[in-house]
Amino acid sequence: MPTIDQISEAVFRETINRAVQDVFKTMLGKTATLADASPATNADGTPWEHPVHISGQHVVGTVGFIGDISGLIYLYLEDSFANEVASHMLGMTLEEIEEAGHEVVNDAVGELTNMTVGTFKNQLADKGFPCKLTIPSILRGSNFSIEPVSSATRRIYRFQVGDHAIVADLLMKSGD
Amino acid sequence: MRYKVLTVDDSKTVRIIVKKAFKGFDCEIIEAANGVEGLAAAAKENPDLILLDITMPVMDGVEMLTKLKSDPALKGIPVIMLTAEGGRDNVLKIAKIGVRDYIVKPFKEEILVEKAGRIIDLKPLSEGPQKAKSIFDPATILVVEDKPAIIQQIQEGLKHTPWKIHGVQTTGEAIDFCSKNTPDLIIISLSLPEDAAFTLFRLVRQNVKTKYTPIFALVVKTETTVQQQAQQVGFSYIVTKPIEIPELESKIAKAMNLDTSQRYFAMDGDVFVMRLPENCSQTVVGEVTNYLKPKIAGAVDSGIVKALIDLHELKGLNMAVIKLLIQAMQICKELALQYALVGNPQIVSECKGFEDTRNWQFHESIADAKASFSRSAQTAGAA
Repeated sequence: MPTIDQISEAVFRETINRAVQDVFKTMLGKTATLADASPATNADGTPWEHPVHISGQHVVGTVGFIGDISGLIYLYLEDSFANEVASHMLGMTLEEIEEAGHEVVNDAVGELTNMTVGTFKNQLADKGFPCKLTIPSILRGSNFSIEPVSSATRRIYRFQVGDHAIVADLLMKSGD
Repeated sequence: MRYKVLTVDDSKTVRIIVKKAFKGFDCEIIEAANGVEGLAAAAKENPDLILLDITMPVMDGVEMLTKLKSDPALKGIPVIMLTAEGGRDNVLKIAKIGVRDYIVKPFKEEILVEKAGRIIDLKPLSEGPQKAKSIFDPATILVVEDKPAIIQQIQEGLKHTPWKIHGVQTTGEAIDFCSKNTPDLIIISLSLPEDAAFTLFRLVRQNVKTKYTPIFALVVKTETTVQQQAQQVGFSYIVTKPIEIPELESKIAKAMNLDTSQRYFAMDGDVFVMRLPENCSQTVVGEVTNYLKPKIAGAVDSGIVKALIDLHELKGLNMAVIKLLIQAMQICKELALQYALVGNPQIVSECKGFEDTRNWQFHESIADAKASFSRSAQTAGAA
């Protein structure tokens, strides 16, 4: 059976890049460009563990995957961009979205994350790592950091979608 | 028949997108947020199609599908999986339980509608009889013809109509146009290279948005073999070159199910007016004849007692027109409708020449005819 260690950084990068691009293009008609990728380890081999620095109100969607490989992805969206995403997906105006409240935006961001993680893990499944998705959850706030436990590896991918920056934070259980 | 589509997804966002996707079609969307709700809704509503997610709380989509397929009452309902759970092996495993299609999220609304349209006969809402449009409403007509002169001729000939004639020269452009717009009618030239017209016809028919759009074929009059072929394939009408514009216009109106009656019938105050145009072709006479009885009866029903038959634009008489006029006057008499004729000198003199029309009395203008109504009303009052 192939192990997680056999997946190269380049494969991770290409897989997440394709997933984010595909979802943003199909669901929102927007082009996402990978601006920066941080691999799991530093140049000297020590684990890379810097948290994602955020400024301002954020909406973060999370969906996990469990199976031959396990982990989860956090998708960070600025609050205003999350509203825009919901407005586009639901065919509602921004005023209507603001009136509808957090629940509606949370659901849309949850679904966007679900699709992104789905597209990511389906590619890995086709490479011999079958796994299943978990249901999404949402985190909201302006001053927090998500930190992995020591048995997890972390990779951070920053994308630019128009004027907005989004972050995909990939946490994976290390190979057994 | 109104189709029912059940969407089973824990994400309200997806259920809203599904609703949005099917908005323009004659179908009802029922929602369920997990497998348990989905099974209950399937049993209660007996939907014609189920769109099923996999990852859901309470009961996931795979379990719901398995239960659905083991229930004799529900197992016949077609299911399309709509889920972020892809991967070749996974899809194959689920497909074996019995699904009609598998859409992996993210998805485009058009793809969803297209795949659903292969299972249920989706009808665009605008095609419904409740939206019968009149000849004064705008419509979009797509002309696919590799000879620009023909496109120009059609555009020029129909420029007095509110219809927008959009001309393209290749099937690629036509498909592109149809993906962005929904034309009300399509005219395809059979002279496009390599049977492209027939290929395009099939593609247009496969698209749910244009499945019921009338499609005309455009072909040289003498090419009878290809005309027959077009008829067999199911083109709505064959337009022959050289194109006779009035004939084309009338066929377009008929194919789009347009109400053309306003061209010939109107109300002028308390007077019902029937007007014949300059050129009363066989088609026009046929159209007017069809409307005649219901239109006059409708006027009488709404309390009208006076009718004007206005022939001042008419260029000449023929037997069909005379027959139509006799019929109109007969109906007026039967319904006790007072009527008057308005004609031009040409028509007045031609009428003298026929036995049936010799005694018809004409007024020179509409004003004269109206005045005659009030005179006869006064006479009646005096008597």
